[in-house]
Amino acid sequence: MVATDEELVARSRDGDVDSFNQLVLRWERPIYALAYRVIGRDEDARDVAQETFLRAFRALPGFKGQAKFSSWLYRIALNLCRDWIRRKKRAPLVEMPEGVDIVELAAEQGPTESIEDLVARQEMSRYVADGMKLLPDEQRTAIILKEYHGLTFQEIADLQGCPLSTVKTRLYQGLSVLRRHLESQGMTKYRSAE
Amino acid sequence: MKFTCDDKATLVSYLYGELDPATRQAVDDHLAQCAACADEVTALGGVRSELGLWAAPDADLDFTIVKKSELASSNVLRPARWWNTVPVWAQAAAAILVVAAGISIANVRIASGPEGFSVTTGWMQPEPTTAAGPAVRTVVATAPASDEFKVQLASLEQKLRDEMRAARDQNATHVATTSDDAVSMRQIRQLIADAEKRHSQELAARFIEFTNDMNMQRRLDMQNITRAFNTQDAQMFRQRQMINSQGQIINNVIRISNTPQ
Repeated sequence: MVATDEELVARSRDGDVDSFNQLVLRWERPIYALAYRVIGRDEDARDVAQETFLRAFRALPGFKGQAKFSSWLYRIALNLCRDWIRRKKRAPLVEMPEGVDIVELAAEQGPTESIEDLVARQEMSRYVADGMKLLPDEQRTAIILKEYHGLTFQEIADLQGCPLSTVKTRLYQGLSVLRRHLESQGMTKYRSAE
Repeated sequence: MKFTCDDKATLVSYLYGELDPATRQAVDDHLAQCAACADEVTALGGVRSELGLWAAPDADLDFTIVKKSELASSNVLRPARWWNTVPVWAQAAAAILVVAAGISIANVRIASGPEGFSVTTGWMQPEPTTAAGPAVRTVVATAPASDEFKVQLASLEQKLRDEMRAARDQNATHVATTSDDAVSMRQIRQLIADAEKRHSQELAARFIEFTNDMNMQRRLDMQNITRAFNTQDAQMFRQRQMINSQGQIINNVIRISNTPQ
């Protein structure tokens, strides 16, 4: 039977490092993905993810379980991302490959997906990443937490320290900006019927 | 429950499926009548599906928390201690000296008898052995041995002091012989002057040698040029002779041809 986060946290607080490492294994990819999408650099995202778990481990005695462990981790990671952006004093960048490598693409190809579809998917992914760069930090973070981590509006509001309605507004505005960006790239299917 | 076009918050909740059934039904009813809102929901839903294409790299993470105590001691860098700079033989000698001094101070006695080995320390008088009793044999570190060791230590110390004094005297002598600054400066100046003179002589000799080489080379080149000119002259002379002889032949032929038959 798989132990829950709460059980593993309890054991970790009793000094069981292996239990904490199980939590790390469970959450390292989501935390890394969050950091990558917020700050946009692979190496820095790794550093942020690693630092997140180190800080969580050190602060574990103070974690009383008033929030979900994952929410607590997200909060640490987002604070580190915010520090990173402030320290670098620049907008988040998104590393995207310069060209499209057909060999690499073929390795990622799904069983029923043609190379043409795959190239189109990569192109679209790049457009999306470029569009995300245009968003203010709060809108981008709200979209990332909602779209890629499935947090509820209330959880996002708690993490961002804002009212629920603000989260919804940020999401709506962010999605609208992305829609206009994709339309400007020739993706006409998002255009409203005039 | 009624939904209005400008209620963007409810529209977002509808997009993400976080509406109660009644509100959801109200939005559905509105979308069935309002093409603009229906189109917007479709467009934003399309953006959401495209967002799913943006994947984070498949990074190899494998973070692990490791306790400090589990780290191999060899991996831990520590600052060097002062005794690390002392050679091992010196450390061993010092250890032996310390142990020996301790034994001598404590007046350790190790004795063997019918009850087995016995170790006594301090300056207590050993129990007198009776003539009838079994003989006790002291094997290590009796008081006379301690005195002898003290004597050896003292002689070793004296020897070391003598050597240190000798080294210091030698150093002092060396300093005394070189302490006369004026003499030293004169010697240094003399050395520098000698070196400069030697360098000048070497430079002059090199220059003369270089000049001689240049003259030799120039002479050789001139000889080669002269020889080449001479060869050229000889060839031209031969050619001129050939032309003259050919001209003579032609003249003879003309003369013969002009002679009446």
